[in-house]
Amino acid sequence: MLLQIIINGILKGGLYALMALGMSLIWGVMDIINIAHGAFIMLGAYCTYWFFSLLGIDPFISLFLSVAILFVIGYAIQRYLINLVIRATIFITLILAFGIEIFISNLALVMWSANVRMVQVPYGASNFSIGSVTIPYARLGAFIIALIIAGIFYYILNKTRLGRSIRATSQDLDAARLVGVDVAKTYSFTFGLGVGAAGAAGTLWAVLFPINPMMGGVLTLKSFVVVILGGLGTMFGPIVGGLTLGVAEALGTNWFGATYENLISFTILVLVLIFLPKGILGKSE
Amino acid sequence: MKAGSKILKGLLVMGLVIGLVISLNSGAYSKDVIKIGCAMSFTGKKSRTGKLYVDSLKLAEATINKAGGIKVGGKAYLVKIKFYDDKSNAAESAKLIEKLITEDKVNFLLGPYSSGITIPDSIVAQRYRIPMVEGGGASGKIFSRHNPYIFGTLPAAGQYFRTTLEMLAGFKPKPKKIAIIYGDDKFDISVAKGAKKIAEGLGLKVVLYEKISESSADFNTILTKVKSLAPDALLMAGHTEGGINLIQQAKELNVNLKMISLTVGPSEADFRKSLGKNANYIFGVASWSPQMNYKGYLFKNTQEFVKIFKAKYGYDPDYHNASAIAEMAVLKNAIERAGTLNPQKVRDAIAKTDLMTIYGPVKFNPNGQIKGSSVVLQIQGGQVYQVYPNGTKKPIYPMPAWKDR
Repeated sequence: MLLQIIINGILKGGLYALMALGMSLIWGVMDIINIAHGAFIMLGAYCTYWFFSLLGIDPFISLFLSVAILFVIGYAIQRYLINLVIRATIFITLILAFGIEIFISNLALVMWSANVRMVQVPYGASNFSIGSVTIPYARLGAFIIALIIAGIFYYILNKTRLGRSIRATSQDLDAARLVGVDVAKTYSFTFGLGVGAAGAAGTLWAVLFPINPMMGGVLTLKSFVVVILGGLGTMFGPIVGGLTLGVAEALGTNWFGATYENLISFTILVLVLIFLPKGILGKSE
Repeated sequence: MKAGSKILKGLLVMGLVIGLVISLNSGAYSKDVIKIGCAMSFTGKKSRTGKLYVDSLKLAEATINKAGGIKVGGKAYLVKIKFYDDKSNAAESAKLIEKLITEDKVNFLLGPYSSGITIPDSIVAQRYRIPMVEGGGASGKIFSRHNPYIFGTLPAAGQYFRTTLEMLAGFKPKPKKIAIIYGDDKFDISVAKGAKKIAEGLGLKVVLYEKISESSADFNTILTKVKSLAPDALLMAGHTEGGINLIQQAKELNVNLKMISLTVGPSEADFRKSLGKNANYIFGVASWSPQMNYKGYLFKNTQEFVKIFKAKYGYDPDYHNASAIAEMAVLKNAIERAGTLNPQKVRDAIAKTDLMTIYGPVKFNPNGQIKGSSVVLQIQGGQVYQVYPNGTKKPIYPMPAWKDR
């Protein structure tokens, strides 16, 4: 049983990692705590739902479309909204992000109603067994996709010109400007990438869980915990944080009771802040 | 910093404008209107079920007004329900009830959705001595406070699973072990406590009795536990999304039990739509089902109500909807019997209610909660049927294993 529980935790951890990937990127590079992150995950989930129920496109294919749509939304929001207050204190950007979250959630509520929806793919809940351990295909698929997307992110950030300018901007804004990096554009791309990753997380979420317009809040919190656990400034932070949280929650709810899931997450968060203030993989400045 | 303060200024101006618009809109009622106040969850976590109440209450309001309103001492009054959005927040809801009483000067109150929100609301109603009829909270905690101003149309939470457990204990061979899991919400806790007591009284061993987190979507750990304990039946007191997650993940992890029963979910269209084929064979509990047929008070009978409701809103009403209709029926009937709008006299009339509604017979216990019990439902072939007692179909037990479907 313990093995099954640990595997459940690892599979969930992959999804947590993907959820946190975008938030970590935006936070690390632009110093914006994107409170609206969960709302973007929700939008990604709804994109998937509509592609599936209206056009019959499989979620693992529409993933690319959802990511593209969310990238455009993220790019535009950064370019035309957040850019206006990017030089202000973190408090102002926080309020703006908070406003965006309220706006998106409530717009979704008005447009799509609070009905609970679910993407019922034919292979939805099917599974295979290895010995006594049961593994659902959809969860395994979501886990693998999460790792692939993290890999793509790693490639973009480390091997492309865009990635180099993103990293340069995050390390030293003025120096980056001096060597000719278009900071405004870089920020827009970063935000777009982060929101696009949220869209991918939303797609995978929609395959596994029912969705509704108000689902974002909890997911923002979860992503936040994962980012802090893993540490800012490294692409592996969210993965380590996500897996840690996934396994810790699975074991914790097994030992202490299912009602304490959030208590367990936040206890871990506090412990990490006390003993590893920069997160598990965080770089010292 | 400049851009920031500009935006703040802008927000401030917007706030003032919106405030002005809202305040100009209120207080525009004519005199011959009975005002009924209701704080309901239009947004937030409870908004999906909250909408069921709003739809029903609006339909009841329109139906009463179309039939000439409420007659008080020879004079006909129209009813007007004043709604506020409590954002699924208990503290907010209690504040709004206070506002409804002191600012909007409503004559009577309707309850919110969910037990946790009903408790503070009922305390405010008691403080101002305004009767509140509620159809959205069933926890014993609402009615154990010796509050004479609260009346509820949902049967006691502790009794919810009684019929289910009686049915289960009657199956051959008799099941031995059951598991009970429940959400961390007042209603669910009451349901689970009651179910545990009843199960033990019937000689069923409760091998797992565990609280789960309402905000969590993940049931993998608890299902893994259930699988290793292998009970005959799993009962869950929770809400719709939790129910969907539980069933979906039970299939993912190949957890096969003879019976899974949920309090909320199976009677709702969303549940069946979300789970598709996987919703089949799941048991549910309800104080009402659309297959019943009672002579009505606001509507001719249950079947006609179901037809009118479906034509207007495009979905099948469930027990929440019917319970809300009963709220309005009780109020109208009591006001007319009292022959006055005096809150104390109407309260006394409500306590003496003996009314047949599309929801079933309504009579209140001395503590204010309806005398009644629930029926067992099962989803068969995508439809919900009442299977016990006197079901329209026989219960299918044990449920077929996932791989045999």
